[in-house]
Amino acid sequence: MSDSQKRILELLAEKKISVDEAQRLLSLTEPEESTGTGGAAESAGPKGKPRYFRVQVQPEAGSGKDSVNVRIPMALIRAGMKFSALIPANASDEVNEALREKGVDFDVRNLKPEDFEELVAALTDLEVDIKGGKEKVHVYVE
Amino acid sequence: MNYPPLLMRLSIGRRRFPIWLPLFLLWPVAAAVIIALAPLVLLAALILWPLGWGKPLLLSGPMLFGVFCALRGLEVNLDRGSRLTQISFK
Repeated sequence: MSDSQKRILELLAEKKISVDEAQRLLSLTEPEESTGTGGAAESAGPKGKPRYFRVQVQPEAGSGKDSVNVRIPMALIRAGMKFSALIPANASDEVNEALREKGVDFDVRNLKPEDFEELVAALTDLEVDIKGGKEKVHVYVE
Repeated sequence: MNYPPLLMRLSIGRRRFPIWLPLFLLWPVAAAVIIALAPLVLLAALILWPLGWGKPLLLSGPMLFGVFCALRGLEVNLDRGSRLTQISFK
């Protein structure tokens, strides 16, 4: 536990801040803890590079709906994204025009491999849980 | 760089035993086809270069190979009650 977290708990014990405020402040100190040295943060290490993108659709028992379980390697997503580099310049114009007609003002030529890496890196913390109707959908990376 | 998948596991329906397809047996065949087609692809790329399709044509081969290699680890399971479909690459 870092000094700042101890201080927050002390303030809470002294009733100088509310539980909600303490919770908010503690959540703000989490990145500090993960980047700090020593202690539990070091032993836990940074979250590993995601290897798979998982999509699971589980129906309720007896609902008769389809069950889906897909595991997609992140390497496959990266390889697919690289195909955008194959779009010739004149085709990019046509794609941009089609996107503009749909109300999306975006230039596909601005897509760079670094952006893909950033996007894939951002997926690390992705976790979506949807419970609705007779199905449960779980999307996450592992 | 990933290695290409060695095996493809395919199971359709409520089969007791899945089918294992030895993809590694296709590697020599694929290599022979690529070598045989390489001069034609190079020629086509040269012809299409002024139209802007030469570079994509040249790059598409390595990229497709990259996609094929990245298939290792892919798993798809669909359970439709009486019909179960499972595809995985090892």
